[in-house]
This record gives sequence, C-alpha cells and structure tokens, in this order.
Amino acid sequence: MKTSRAASIALVCYGLLVVAFLYLPIVSVGFASVSKARYLSFPIRSYTLQWYESAVASATVSELVATSLTIAAVVTVLSMVLGFLGGLAFARYQWRYRTLFQKLVLLPIFFPQAVLGLALLVWFNSLGVVPTWKTAIVAHLVWIAPIATLIVAIQAYSFDPMLEEAARDLGASTWQILKELTIPLLMPGVVSAGLFAFLLSWGNFPLSLFTTGADSTLPKWLYAKMVSGYSPQVPALGMLAVASSIALVLIAMTVPSLLRALRAMRADKT
Amino acid sequence: MSGDPILRLENIVKSFGGLTVLRDISLDIADGESLTIVGPSGSGKTTLIRLLVGMDEPTSGAIWLRDRRIERVPANKRPTCMVFQSLALFPHRSVGQNIEFPLKIRGVAAAERKKRALQLMELLRLREDYYGKSVVQISGGERQRVALARALAFDPEILFFDEPLSALDYRLRKTLEKELKDLHARTGKTFVYITHSLEEAMVMSDRIAIMRAGRFEQIAVADEIYARPRSRFVAEFMGEVNLFDITATVEGRLEGEGIEINLPAGSSPATAVLAPGEKVTLMVRPEFVHFLENGHVSDFHLRGTVRAEYLLGSRMHYEVERRDGSFVTVEKLREDRFKGKPGDEVVLGWDVEHCHIIAEGRP
Amino acid sequence: MKRLDGKLGALCALPLGLLLAASFLAPLVVIAGFSIMPQRVFDLAHIPDFSAYAVFFRQGYYKSLLWSLGMAFMATTILFILCWPLAYGMAKVFGRFTLFLTIAVAVTLFVSENIRLFGWVVTLMKGGLFDGYLKELTGLRLEGALYNVPITVFGLVYVYFPFMLFPLTQGIAMVPDDARQAAADLGASRWRILWEIDLPLAAPGIMVGSLLCFVLAAGALAESKLLGGQSVIVIASEVETAFSYGQNWPLGSALAMSLILVIGALAITTIARIDLDAIMGRKR
Repeated sequence: MKTSRAASIALVCYGLLVVAFLYLPIVSVGFASVSKARYLSFPIRSYTLQWYESAVASATVSELVATSLTIAAVVTVLSMVLGFLGGLAFARYQWRYRTLFQKLVLLPIFFPQAVLGLALLVWFNSLGVVPTWKTAIVAHLVWIAPIATLIVAIQAYSFDPMLEEAARDLGASTWQILKELTIPLLMPGVVSAGLFAFLLSWGNFPLSLFTTGADSTLPKWLYAKMVSGYSPQVPALGMLAVASSIALVLIAMTVPSLLRALRAMRADKT
Repeated sequence: MSGDPILRLENIVKSFGGLTVLRDISLDIADGESLTIVGPSGSGKTTLIRLLVGMDEPTSGAIWLRDRRIERVPANKRPTCMVFQSLALFPHRSVGQNIEFPLKIRGVAAAERKKRALQLMELLRLREDYYGKSVVQISGGERQRVALARALAFDPEILFFDEPLSALDYRLRKTLEKELKDLHARTGKTFVYITHSLEEAMVMSDRIAIMRAGRFEQIAVADEIYARPRSRFVAEFMGEVNLFDITATVEGRLEGEGIEINLPAGSSPATAVLAPGEKVTLMVRPEFVHFLENGHVSDFHLRGTVRAEYLLGSRMHYEVERRDGSFVTVEKLREDRFKGKPGDEVVLGWDVEHCHIIAEGRP
Repeated sequence: MKRLDGKLGALCALPLGLLLAASFLAPLVVIAGFSIMPQRVFDLAHIPDFSAYAVFFRQGYYKSLLWSLGMAFMATTILFILCWPLAYGMAKVFGRFTLFLTIAVAVTLFVSENIRLFGWVVTLMKGGLFDGYLKELTGLRLEGALYNVPITVFGLVYVYFPFMLFPLTQGIAMVPDDARQAAADLGASRWRILWEIDLPLAAPGIMVGSLLCFVLAAGALAESKLLGGQSVIVIASEVETAFSYGQNWPLGSALAMSLILVIGALAITTIARIDLDAIMGRKR
C-alpha cells in the first residue's frame, strides 16, 4: 500500500516546514545578535559584530563558559562510566531485579526538570550542602546518566549473546571476555552516550538554574539577563552557544568516517 | 581410532524446573569418529550439546572425557570447541584476529600466533591476504572457514557443529559437506554434528544417533537405521515408508488384514521369535514394492487401485489405495515405470528379505 | 552461567542504582516529608500535620496545578496531532530524508530551551522580528502575541516537539507493513486502517511519547515565565516562589507533591505496562 506521490510530497513539505519552524527562533536570535542598537528592535538598521567581540572578551563570560564546560566534562566522563555499567545491567545480564532496575532508570527521564531541580535544592540544603557547580554535576547526572544508560542499552541489545558463549567455549575467562569482546563492542554506544551527555549538560537550563547556587552556567546567566538587564550580548552569546553545539555534532558525525578511512589505509599497508 | 571411547555419557538427565528435557541419555563416542545427533526441534539436542560443550550442567549423570569426569567443568576449561550455527565470528576483529583469539587468551606470543593462524588458513584454503580483512567483508563460505580455523586453533580434542549446513544455499552446502569430511579425514579429530536434517546426517557421518523427546531412539550407521529401524518414529523419520499392522499367530505365522502372506517354511522378517498374539509393525520401503504381473507371486501381496503417479527426477512414485482406504507408496525407476494408469486395479508384492519387523517396546 | 550473569548484573547496576537512590529517590522522600510538616519550618523534627495541603486548597494553589495540567494536556494533544503525520512519514515513507529530519530535530535538543524560547520572544514581541518587518512593509502591527495562555501552550508545543516525535516514530515503525496491506486487501478504508491497525499497534510509542510530553510539560517553568509573563502561574513557578521568596519549605513541598503525585501515578502505571525490551529492539 504505497503512499501516493502527492501525499509523499506533501509530507516532505510538512517536514521541511517543521524544521524551518523549529529553527526560526534561532534565526531571530541570530538577527538580534548583529543589530547595532542597544535595545531590541526590528527591522535592523545597522549591523555589527561588536557584541560578539565584547562577549568573547568578557571575563564574566569566560568564567561562565569555564563553569559550564567543567560541569559538562565531569558529567560526560561519569555518564560514560555509569552508562556503560548501567547499560549492561539494563540489557545484557539476566539478574533478579532487572525489570525493577529498568523502571527505576526510566523515572528521572519522565520527570519535569524544574521540579527535580527544586527538590534537589531542598535536599542539598537539608543535608547542609551549599549548592555550587559541584552540586549541579549531581543534578545533571540524575537526568543524564539514565539517558546514557538507555543509549548503551540500545547498543547492547544488538549484541549477539552467542558471541560471549563462543568466546568462553574457545577458552576465555570472564575478564578476557569483558576486555576483548564486551568493551570493544559497546564502545560506539558509550561514545554516543558521552556525546549526548556533553551536549545535554552544556545546554541544560532548568537543573542548572536551581542547583548551581552562587555559581552560574551560561544558560542560567543568559536567563537572568533575559528577564532583567538585557544587553545585546545575550543573543550574541546565545548564538555562540548554539554554534558550539552544532559544531560539536558535526564533528561527531564526521569523526567515525574519518577513523574508518584511516583504519582502511592502515589495513591496506599490512 | 583407539578402542576406548573419547567421550562417554552416562545416564544424563536434565530438567528445568518441572520440565525434563533429557531423560537418561547414554552414549559412547569413539576417538576420531564422526557422529551426527539428529532429531526434530524440541527433541532436546540443543540442550544435550550445551551440556557436552560446558555451557550448562546436567541435573544428574556423568560425562567422561577419556578418564576425566567433566560434566561440571566450565566451557572455557574443556578441550572441546563448538562451531555455532551463526558462526559467532567477532565482528570487530579481522580474520587473523578471530583465528588467533584462542591463542591470544592463552598467552601465546604474537609472532607464534600469526604463524599458526597462517597455517590454519592454508589448511582451510583461505588466501593469505585475508589475514587483515574484516570478517564482515568476506563471503558466507569464507566466514565458515574462518570459524573452522578458529575452532581448530587451540587444537581441541572434539569439535561440535551446531546445524552447520542449515542456513546455507544448496551450492554452499554441497561444498561445505565435502570440506568438513576432508577436514575430518585430515585432522583425525572427533567430529560431532547436531542437525534436524536427515539428509545432512546421512552424508556427514559414520554413525547417527536419532533423538526424540529427550531420548535416543536408535544409534547405528545410516544403512542399519534405514533398513532396520527400531521404531515407527525412526522408520518415518528416515524417509518414505509403508507400515502395516501385523499379528503373530499361535501357530508361529504372521497375519495382517488385507495382506496375503505366503512365507516359505522357516523364513520370517523378524530378527527374533515373536510371541503368540504379539502385535508388531511390518515395514517395507517403497522401492521394494513391485507391481505383480498376472501369475507372479511373492511372499507378501495385497490389492489396491492406483490413484496417483508423480515424477520425482529419476524416479516415479505411485499412490495405491487399499480397500480400507489406506495408501501404499510404490517407487520405481523411471525406465521401469508402471505400464498402466491411475484407476487401474493392481496387485502389489514384496519379498521377505526386503522388509523388516518393528517390535516397539522390546529392548 | 546463569549465576555469573546474576552477580554481574547486580554489580553493574550498583553505581547507577546508588546514584539514583541518593539523588532522585531520597530528595523525593524528603519533599514528601516536608509536605507534612507545619508551616515555615526548615527541618523534619516536628509533628506531622497537613496544614500545607490545607493551604494548597484554601488559598487556591490548586488552580495553578489545574492550569499546569490543563495546558500540558492541550499541548500533548496538539503535539500528537502535529507529530503523527510526520512520524508516519519518517517511519514508513521517507528514505534518507528521515536521517536529515532526525538530526535536524535532535540538534534543537542541544540548544538550551531558554535560548530558543527567547528567540520566540524576539520574534513575536512588539518591535520584534514579525512586528517590526510587518510594520515596515505593510503598516500593520502584531499586537499581543505574547503574554497570554495560548502562547504559553505554543511554547510547550515547541519545546517538547522532539519528545513526541521520536517515540511516535519508533512506535509507528513497529507496525508491520503486511498487516496494513492485508487490511487494505480485505477492503478497509484509510481511516479504518488508522483506527484498527495503526493506532493499536503503535500504542507503546504513543504511550511513551504522550506520557513524556505530558509529564514534562506539566512541570515546565521557562515557557510560562518567558512567553506567558504574568498571564498564567504554573505550579512549578509557585513551588519556586514558596521555596525562595516565601521561605516556606512545607508549602513548597506540598505544592511539589501535588504535581509529583499526579505525574507519578501516571508514569508508574504506564511504565509498568510497557515491555521495554521489545520496544528497544531486543534480538532474542
């Protein structure tokens, strides 16, 4: 039952329309970031890149970027480890509480982040822990580690369980199976999970808003400025943040092909 | 081949919870022989193989490898190797790395490993330049040979093959059959095949063990099983067959409904003496049933009407309906085809040396 | 082999399990505890009472909860209708275009939502992209686009679009083509096929997508603040106020609990029914 040609074309147009619609606000922010005027007003009379220059030069901004990056880096590393182990527990090993574990891992994803952030704030306070960028790491992990786990689990599901049995039959010990088989085969999933973790942490707003305390991440600072104290640096910084995320995604997409090409060249030489 | 069995199974029982999958399995496998375990799905052959390889343990019973009890020894410590149906090649490793895997984990040095891998590749006729190739890039037949090389790398005593030919197309199957038999002859190792295909079993190995519902129904060479099956199941499993219910009379003769039996004095298809009144099954293969011309007699004959004829390559098959509604299958070579046509009334007959009595329930 | 699997599985689950127990379950328990403490205290060493819940009803906070749930429901319904055709296209019709769409939509997830919502403010505000160019070109003005309830719902639809699209696509991908073809063969119309075949078989995806959108939208904060202004106060905003300006942890906790109980009940009943292994493409 093939969809008619007209319907297919209509669907494609719909898809393109949706994409345009999704990116429209980003385009607007882009326009706002190059307007010379101090206050937001369209149409733009004169264009400038000065806001980008001042944003990049600003010390506040450097600190914000440093904080956001540090949090994201730590969250990435921890998510990869937790995701690797969690993914195995989720999808690969048959153990007693596996189904319960699966449901537990899903819960933080099905939970509104703002409420989670607030709950964590109360929790930290009642523990006597002062919220700083370190507590934000914990907050990010609560949401991001389960996502990393799901990504690794999807990879683990396509793993042929016969491979481990074959390796054991050929004489491998449990540790050898892990080292030679499980880890290399799950590595692509772990790397994807790491990428997702970095991007989600770097761009996270609700959790950072409530759990960074006196410290601030880039999204949190931008929000504060949007609400009061607007300056054209806000859209400029916003665009830089967007550009950095997109650049990272593009790099991540091309690196595997590059690696494969390198490996092919090396293999041809032997 | 030495006299003592290399592998001996003693009264193996395997249950999962309340379900008994293997009931009292015993088997001796001779050193260097090739044996096939055949059975329909659900017969328990996969469970049995897992026990032999070490991926599971029997509920009771013993497995001896020469003079060592091994039923509780885990798979990675047994000198046996299984070639999986899916081959289970490691997709992220090259041909050479796959073959070397058993050596690498046993701590063999890289140069030594490579030498052995190349030796095995030569034995299995894989080109030397395949050493660095990724296993996902090579053809199905080549992957089979890589799996075989990997299995042989650490010189196991017994090789198990799980459905080695099932997933292949006709041409590959024929090639691999021959290669496996060659390999068996050249390495002298014990090969055990597991399959559901009777044809595979008959081609691949000396002895065949037929499994059904967790038990061995018969263990013998192909010819024996074909001509003298020990049960109706084995008779039907081994191909087209005609089965009749026969009773031994008080006077020591045989009689069956609708069949005229004129046995010369002292001859009987039964290998043992039948008790008076004993009910048994008479078995005769279609190729031994003849259309009797007028005036000819045979030891057994019956009447019927030809209902259908089929051409199957070099042979003709005929379906003949008896008065009670049951059918007899007759097979003839094409050049000896029946001269009549469907609807004709015929007399079918066969001789005592071409049929067999199945007395189920007897040891 | 089974015993080893069991031990390894439990061992691997331990780190993540501990993290979630200490940083997800524990805070929720604490919030639950605070919700039954007397007003304005900052610790749990008091005799429980339900004064905070009484305030929830008496002082009209329940209205905020109803607004949040109502807007979330509207957003989810709108999202379902908007995403279904596209998800159908991605699962069944498009070839390589699916990949492009997936990446394009996924990338928006990596841009923080306040930047994207801010972009809508820039687009729709007085003097913004639409209003400015409209005035320039036609002299007409775009009034009052922002700071009302519909635009807040719009914001929810915008932000949570991928959360409906991806699960729905996965769900529709699970509908076997031959079932649809057989139904067509037997004479079913397009609408019949949709109703009898597509919807029931894509149910897991529909449930996951709808639950996710509803739950996340119900607890959303940025949309109402940036796009809605003062026109509607959502429950998450009330919770924030109670914790910060109000300095009333028990009240804030009770407000949070009111939301958590509703979404918790929904989430648990739905997740309990889904076979995760099947959805995520287990091979066995």
